[in-house]
Amino acid sequence: MSTSILEPVGVGALGPGDRATAMARTILRSPSLRLIGRRLLTAIPVLFGVTLLAFIVMNLLPGDAARELSGINATPAEVHALTIKLHLNYPFWVRYGDWLGGALQLHFGTSLTSGVSVTSILAQRLPVTFELVGYGFVISLVLAVPPAVLAARRPNGLFDRIHLAVSLTGLSIAPYVLALLLVIVFAVHLGWFPAIGFVSVSQSVGGNLRSLTLPAFSLGFGLACFYTRLLRADIVEQMQSQDYVVTAQAKGLRPSRILVRHALRNSLFGFLTVVGVNLGSLIGVTVITEQIFSLPGIGYELLQAIDNRDVPVVLATVVVFAVIVIAANLLTDLLYAVLDPRIRYGRSAA
Amino acid sequence: MAAQLPDVALSTPVADTPLSAVPESGRRGRGALHSLDIWIPAGFLILMIAACYLWPLVYHMPPPVGGSILAANLPPLSPGHIFGTDPVGNDILSRIFYGGRVSFEVGISTTLIGLVIGGLLGTVAGYRGGATDAVISRVLDVLIAFPSLVLALAIAEALGPSELHTIWALSFYSIPLFGRLARAATLPLGEQTFMLAARVSGTKARRVLMRHVVPNILPQLMTFALLGVGVAIILEGALSFLGLGVPAPGPSWGNMIALGFQTMTSQPDLVLIPSAFLCATVIAINVLGDALRARGATR
Repeated sequence: MSTSILEPVGVGALGPGDRATAMARTILRSPSLRLIGRRLLTAIPVLFGVTLLAFIVMNLLPGDAARELSGINATPAEVHALTIKLHLNYPFWVRYGDWLGGALQLHFGTSLTSGVSVTSILAQRLPVTFELVGYGFVISLVLAVPPAVLAARRPNGLFDRIHLAVSLTGLSIAPYVLALLLVIVFAVHLGWFPAIGFVSVSQSVGGNLRSLTLPAFSLGFGLACFYTRLLRADIVEQMQSQDYVVTAQAKGLRPSRILVRHALRNSLFGFLTVVGVNLGSLIGVTVITEQIFSLPGIGYELLQAIDNRDVPVVLATVVVFAVIVIAANLLTDLLYAVLDPRIRYGRSAA
Repeated sequence: MAAQLPDVALSTPVADTPLSAVPESGRRGRGALHSLDIWIPAGFLILMIAACYLWPLVYHMPPPVGGSILAANLPPLSPGHIFGTDPVGNDILSRIFYGGRVSFEVGISTTLIGLVIGGLLGTVAGYRGGATDAVISRVLDVLIAFPSLVLALAIAEALGPSELHTIWALSFYSIPLFGRLARAATLPLGEQTFMLAARVSGTKARRVLMRHVVPNILPQLMTFALLGVGVAIILEGALSFLGLGVPAPGPSWGNMIALGFQTMTSQPDLVLIPSAFLCATVIAINVLGDALRARGATR
């Protein structure tokens, strides 16, 4: 940024155009924006590194894509022709450059197995995964926040102990085990929800929710256990050591009101960062969940693409996953900075 | 990892968040009960490890693979097969014990690799700051953003699925986690007087790191390491479940769950038995880790 931005602006003598510039300057000077800029700048090398790593990894895989694609009966000439068509005879860096150039314009090429453009595959698969993650996230918040508040009401009370035992168990249970248990109980024995398969929203809204409930719950439960412990510990800490709690007590507020309106509110700030960072990593969890429940999301696509050695699809999926993780981290930082002014002016910790 | 797995989601180091500094005030035991929360889970784990490694040496036990098809699908509590046999006639108890070895070995080695390499990277980044920090942090960011499932799949595909390769694949997951944790733990040390004193008196950087930084952050890393073992065991199960861990006939809890998954409606115990062992082990690890952390916070 140029130094002129930092000069004081005399508002009195300004025309309308100048006023606009002044406003622009104020906005540019905003610490939140600078933080955004700084974070975006660090995201670039990370994204670049991810694509490079993905490209290297896919290149290390044994097997020749051209040979596999042209089938067992192909003549060497046919394999050679396909090699040239796919540019597989070019050096690594040339191919990487080509791919990166396309990726920057969101052209990820076409799938080697189906011939469909990768972008349209992503457009078709991503909404399913997003819906699953969103649903699981809502479930996790619903399961996390109220029990945390109740448990924090009386630390070491009966409810707190139950809360501790349940959350510790939930943290320790593998998501795929939970998914299988849910299927055994709710799909096989009770028949409340379908065991596998996906119904899209356009077919039936109720059917859509039903088909996603078990997967979303298996995703959200572990997360809820993690969240709820953090939140409970933080609320207890707030209630025991913060001056504003003493003030509120002195004012004669009801304990439940102090708990919810004061302590919970303050705890939610810190909670937010954890939730945000986790939301990014949740995307990875969906791979196995989608596999178990046969949901046509991006994780399912990724496993298939890896099986078929479908390099363009794998690369695009890796980029999408990385973008989601990075974006979640970025958003978390920003929300935190917007909500807590102390962060805005400090050196960024990460 | 995508496997990040799932588990992954739960494994974000808590220590660099403001919430984590909070001691679990509820857990300060008294009197005789004082150490029960440590000894019960620790005893269970010791028992499990002893069962996995010593039991097959001491008592006769059918091998975990190569069972006879004539003895297939025996229900639990059959004579000679306490947990019954699987669809190809292997004794389930034997597969549980041999599979447990895989879980413990993968869990512990992955965590150790992460602790040493990640811890070193994070400490150096946090201590040196500046360009070193920027480079190391970005590399760790790349590893975190990269779907580890893809990496694990690629390693399994390129080198062939095996226990050792599972450890490598999962290390790509544990290294950045411990790296971040170590960096976050090292940063605040920089402002401490003893660090300044060490630097002013001309102590070499390596000595400062080894004598001052490492002993200070190690307790924090160690408690997290225990939780890391639990996560790694879950991830190993996930990889095996997807057919990318220990290859099929070999026993592993994840394999057994995946195998049972196919006949889940008719024989749920094929899923339930390995799941129960997996969960009980991880619960014991987490309870122990929790108790140790609470102990550390009280001190």
